[in-house]
Amino acid sequence: MIIPVRCFTCGKLIADKWEEFSRRVKAGEDAGEVLDSLGIKRYCCRRMLLSHVEIIDEVLRFYEEAEKRREARGYY
Amino acid sequence: MEIKVLEKDDSNMRFLVKGVDVQYVNTLRRLMLAEVPCMAIDEVVVIENSSVLQDEFIAHRLGLIPLKTNLDEYNLPEECPCKSEFGCNLCRVTLTLDAEAKEGTRTIYSGELISENPEIVPVKENIPIMKLTKGQKLKLEAYARLGRGKKHAKWQPVSLCAYKYFPKIEILEKNCDNCGKCVEICPRKVLAKTDGKVEVRDLMACTLCQDCVEACPKNPPAIQVKWEKNSFIFNLESTGALPPERIVKEALKILDGQLKEIEKQIR
Repeated sequence: MIIPVRCFTCGKLIADKWEEFSRRVKAGEDAGEVLDSLGIKRYCCRRMLLSHVEIIDEVLRFYEEAEKRREARGYY
Repeated sequence: MEIKVLEKDDSNMRFLVKGVDVQYVNTLRRLMLAEVPCMAIDEVVVIENSSVLQDEFIAHRLGLIPLKTNLDEYNLPEECPCKSEFGCNLCRVTLTLDAEAKEGTRTIYSGELISENPEIVPVKENIPIMKLTKGQKLKLEAYARLGRGKKHAKWQPVSLCAYKYFPKIEILEKNCDNCGKCVEICPRKVLAKTDGKVEVRDLMACTLCQDCVEACPKNPPAIQVKWEKNSFIFNLESTGALPPERIVKEALKILDGQLKEIEKQIR
């Protein structure tokens, strides 16, 4: 749903690195190199970021849409 | 016993311990994992939550956020003189969060948690707690307490705490024909070929995997990987709650206390 705060296996804090990771990978950088530069060494922590899908963004779209409709109804 | 710090920064530490048994280093490791206390959010009172995730989910996320800990100022709840289930200001810190997305979708970060003690704050300010869209609200009060890793992993002050034997690599120059197969196969690049001779480049990186021994075409192999029986390389990575050297000190203090307790009970 949303990026887990810590690595499931070792407990390292990873949530704070997600936004930078996803931004840089989307910009076309190599994921492995980004992980290295963020200081994520172990493969347990690396898979946390590599395999994550931020589903909450998809869920929130429905609420954004609902909010828009509510606003539109208010105008008329 | 001899200790030499190899590397140290504010969250990692690597040190060499010489002249101790495995049992002793393992005790130290287990104490750091399970007994050294640190702060974590333990109880959450949700006042308003109109976000897309449940209260429990958010409470769990809050619990996992590592908090900077001051061990001298706070008591463990079970050892606190207040003896109250709810806690007093010597064994509990209150953090509050009041967030609302007023215009458009936004992410709520750990930096928005307001602590009653400015010393006990999340280690990083940019940990996403929740995402809210326009009109959604999140209002809660969280109580952080000291705890131990044996009760819940959120109270573990370390994310990496491991030791390995100190490696000893012997290249038998009589048998070695410097073919370089061991240099190629080593996953940690411990060996290197300088002036046509195989030499140890980075001894500390060796994981004792014995790949180089197996790769050697000679029989018996011209390279031998052994380890020193009473020397260890200890790796420590703190979550940020406590500085690594403090974790080691605290573990030793706990070990001391436990041994004194045994002595007292035997008498």
